[in-house]
Amino acid sequence: MKMADGSTILRRNRPGTKSKDFCRWPDEPLEEMDSTLAVQQYIQQMIKRDPSNVELILTMPEAQDEGVWKYEHLRQFCMELNGLAVRLQKQCSPSTCTQMTATDQWIFLCAAHKTPKECPAIDYTRHTLDGAACLLNSNKYFPSRVSIKESSVTKLGSVCRRVYRIFSHAYFHHRRIFDEFEAETYLCHRFTHFVTKYNLMSKENLIVPINEEENAAPGESEA
Amino acid sequence: MTNHEYDMVWIHYKLVRKPKNEGEGVIMNVGILAKLYRQARMAIMEDTHDVDANCDGPDLDFVYSDVDSYQNEIAELYSYTEFSEFQMNVKAFEDQMELYDLPPNWQKQDATSQRSIVMKLVDQLEVSDRSFRMQAARCILYLAQGCWAEVQSDEEQHQNTRDNVIVLYQLGVFSSFIDLLNMEIETACSPDIVAVKITNVTLVDSTDIRVILSVLYIITETIRDEREKGSEDYKQLAESFVQEINSPLPDGELLAVKLLGMITRFCSGAAPQFPMKKVVLLLWKVSLLGLGGMDVLKNLKNEYRAKVGLEPITEDTLEVTKCMRASSPPATATDILENQYPKRNFKRSLMKQRFLDEPEQIDMEMSGNEGGPNANNGNSSTGTGSGNGEDELSQYYRPFDDPSASTSGNSNNSTATANPNNQPSHMQPPVAVPAVQITPRLPWTPKVRQKDIDQFLDISRNKFIGYSLIGDHESLAGLPQPIHEGFKTLQRHMYVSLADMQIKKEEDIARNPISTHEDEIKLTPAEILYQAILPNLPQYMIALLKVLLAASPTSKSKTESINIMADVLPKKMPLTATQSTKLTVDMGRHKEIIVKAVSAIILLYLKHFKINHVYQFEFMSQHLVFANCIPLVLKFFNQTITEYVNTKNSIPLLDFPSCVIGEQPDLSGDSFVYGGEMSDKPYSWRNVFSCINLLRILNKLIKWKHSRVMMLVVFKSAPILKKTLKVRHAMMQLYVLKLLKMQTKYLGRQWRKSNMKTLSAIYAKVRHRLNDDWAFGNDLESRPWDFQAEECTLRACVDRFNLRRYPEATQKCGAGGGVGSGNNGTAAQNAENAQQSNMHAGNGSGDRDSNGYGNNGSSAGGGGGGVGNNSSGQQNQQLHDYGVEGGFPSDEILTHSDFAFFGHSGWWDRKVELTDYFKANYAVWLEEEVYNSQTDWDAL
Repeated sequence: MKMADGSTILRRNRPGTKSKDFCRWPDEPLEEMDSTLAVQQYIQQMIKRDPSNVELILTMPEAQDEGVWKYEHLRQFCMELNGLAVRLQKQCSPSTCTQMTATDQWIFLCAAHKTPKECPAIDYTRHTLDGAACLLNSNKYFPSRVSIKESSVTKLGSVCRRVYRIFSHAYFHHRRIFDEFEAETYLCHRFTHFVTKYNLMSKENLIVPINEEENAAPGESEA
Repeated sequence: MTNHEYDMVWIHYKLVRKPKNEGEGVIMNVGILAKLYRQARMAIMEDTHDVDANCDGPDLDFVYSDVDSYQNEIAELYSYTEFSEFQMNVKAFEDQMELYDLPPNWQKQDATSQRSIVMKLVDQLEVSDRSFRMQAARCILYLAQGCWAEVQSDEEQHQNTRDNVIVLYQLGVFSSFIDLLNMEIETACSPDIVAVKITNVTLVDSTDIRVILSVLYIITETIRDEREKGSEDYKQLAESFVQEINSPLPDGELLAVKLLGMITRFCSGAAPQFPMKKVVLLLWKVSLLGLGGMDVLKNLKNEYRAKVGLEPITEDTLEVTKCMRASSPPATATDILENQYPKRNFKRSLMKQRFLDEPEQIDMEMSGNEGGPNANNGNSSTGTGSGNGEDELSQYYRPFDDPSASTSGNSNNSTATANPNNQPSHMQPPVAVPAVQITPRLPWTPKVRQKDIDQFLDISRNKFIGYSLIGDHESLAGLPQPIHEGFKTLQRHMYVSLADMQIKKEEDIARNPISTHEDEIKLTPAEILYQAILPNLPQYMIALLKVLLAASPTSKSKTESINIMADVLPKKMPLTATQSTKLTVDMGRHKEIIVKAVSAIILLYLKHFKINHVYQFEFMSQHLVFANCIPLVLKFFNQTITEYVNTKNSIPLLDFPSCVIGEQPDLSGDSFVYGGEMSDKPYSWRNVFSCINLLRILNKLIKWKHSRVMMLVVFKSAPILKKTLKVRHAMMQLYVLKLLKMQTKYLGRQWRKSNMKTLSAIYAKVRHRLNDDWAFGNDLESRPWDFQAEECTLRACVDRFNLRRYPEATQKCGAGGGVGSGNNGTAAQNAENAQQSNMHAGNGSGDRDSNGYGNNGSSAGGGGGGVGNNSSGQQNQQLHDYGVEGGFPSDEILTHSDFAFFGHSGWWDRKVELTDYFKANYAVWLEEEVYNSQTDWDAL
């Protein structure tokens, strides 16, 4: 990507950038990133390079604070999940999916309200992503992106639990959208690995089947 | 010899305390006073060694602390009627494990599997099907209870709880349960549920919410206990937990505030099924852990003192009282009568009955009465007082060498270890009693305030020089040597409290609002709590007191508007005699636990606010006083207090975990109800604890407040308090004696004469204030309107403080929620402006002040809308309740205090509406009224 003067590279999406040029700047080694957002930048760079290489994306660089690492990944998940939410909107409406269900066994409550209540699936999705964004950006719980308070790390688990239900709803009720999205982003695959790796959710609760063979793209094989 | 010296002190003491017109006496004696104290100490020391052997009644071996033993605190969470529900928890667990295809045995699972199970349970807590959700909740409760069905002993159970709480907290169970609690609060308040009549609410109505509160309580209490013990594995977890409860929940509310809100809602009748006992217990523990207990308080106080340049506190009340010996109870006529008829059953008396002395005592007091009202009489009566006092005093300083106390402590211990299944309701170890040193002197170093020194100087200057130097605290020019000496003595004992410094700072800020720099307000836990409860503080205080009133033994529960028994009463009333005995015990126990928790909460808040900022404390205490806290507490003590202290409303076999672990007792039999009584302590820990808390609350409210001391007098507290002295516990007696000391001078000569024993006890036990004429003074400040003024001035200061520091919260508080939410932002803005302009006005002359307030008040009444009217109406109501309606006696007082009560909501609620015409021609106005108007500053 060429910038006005060739010596420095501005890693920005300027107004008017074409979508094919979005985020098209060369990679930068983590050690050379000197911003407070280095970890986020690094993660995004890894995803851009190869979204299917989940293992590599989730490999924590040395000397990295684990709390921050988990936090930044979760942020990234929530950001990317918005893509899924947008696609779901076309098909999933309060009239079609009146309740947040995965398998038909349980209806889940939407925890984003002062008192949890039953929301239609799409509202659950929106509320939960909004809620997660609020929490992850809240000054109170996450005042810094360089170090994370111990007490706030426990919040990550509940965010994961709630966010995961979006995947499961999409998988069981809007399979086509899910598969398309998964094929592009490998997001559920990565998320499953993430929560398993950091023990944020119980294995039995991960009900969306993810192929164990690492190389096959999970979405496609099941579609 | 010793007797003589003690007499000397007493006489000099009286001399010093002569009426003010004998100013010389006052002045001359102050210098000697210190020497006399020393002599008195010597005298007492010798006494102590003389008469050590004659001790005829055991003191209570009660040691005051933040909480009872962990076991008892957990056991008190459950009422006996909840017994059957324990089985439901284990059933829920078994069902759940079946669902997971696992054996129903928690301990057989490895750590990973345990975590995985908990994560699944937490997931299930967010399912919309209520019964399914509650099954998970019960399952978690069972884990928090330590999987008691799998263990053989209490220790194992405790160990399980300990381990599980770590896992539960780390996996976010606490916050999930707060979500559940929110849901319960919500459903409780939906209109279709309220149909239940208050009196018909039973245990069944609160089943789910009790499960939730129990889990929250167990987690909180376990972490609190482990933190106290300094357990390594809990260290980090406890820190983050404390952080969590000291910061708002995701919905912006503090947990403590949520619970206070529940209590308020319960008291309003909107949610009669809330299980009050569990709510207040949880609130207490959350607050205690969040704010910190006695040790934290002590350290904080010294830290804050150091910050403003004061020396640390050297005497800790709790420590000092540990070395004190309880006094024998004062004789009353009824006691003497009872003594003459020994068939009146006194076998469980904890009090020391020195009946043989009493007739003699009466005689002496009678002879004292006969003496004429001259100065001589004063001497002779003190003579008799101290004649008796010689051997009396000795008791106050006896070490805890009482054999019965220590042996019973030991035997308790041994039973506890030999029989671990037995309810360890007396696990409180008899804290290293033998090592306690006798204090061979008066227990406290005397103190004096700057105000008292100034008064002393003022009197002496007036006497010797003939004029006063206002504002000069030091110059001694022209005064004789003894005055110098006296002054030095006073100064050596001068004590500046943290509150003095804080008040001074506030005054400075009020006087020079711009140039005075206030340090950044540190967000300490107490500060966070204060800011959070400020908008609704009055309601919270009323609610707490209502619960306390309903739970106190002297109240008649039937007539109350609230029914705190809802969470004991089972659906089916008991049929057999045994069952109904059990229920009676259970209900008594339930009430006691509520009193314990509420009194502890109020005291804790008062103490923390006091060191955080004295006006926060004053604000809370003023609202307590307005809500009639003082008569309420007095009413509480107006019962046979020794009986209350002895009450045994507990059945150890039915306490958790004994009731579910090991061999089950035969529940049909009659014996178990009384089984544990003999082995137990001779007093009830929680009742002594509550009594001391309530007495301390009373002291905190009343100290240095004339108006409130008069309430003590008006409500005839002296006989009530004297009865309380019968409880043989030094610390409890100390607080009673303090309360008596404050009001002694208003009680009249007759009372003093017939209560010389009590006066001696006060003299020996309560801290001396040099120059303080507590016993015999003719109080010049006792004109009734002064009290109103005092209360109003205080209110004004508190309001100024609140307005300055928390304009928005105060706004909400004053308007009582009447302001439309859309206006809030601007209203707060206005308040700030109005407040600032008011401060400037404050610099003007007194006349202008009063005009300004008057005008504002009227404009608020007229154009300012209903808000001002409303809340000033409330204020009037409060005034009426307080008994000071009928206005103020003079205009002068009105100007100083009107905005405290009447104009209070007027001058800062006012919203200035500018007309369009004005806005359009603003420049002209500016030109004419501001730039072109000349002010002759010199003329002002």
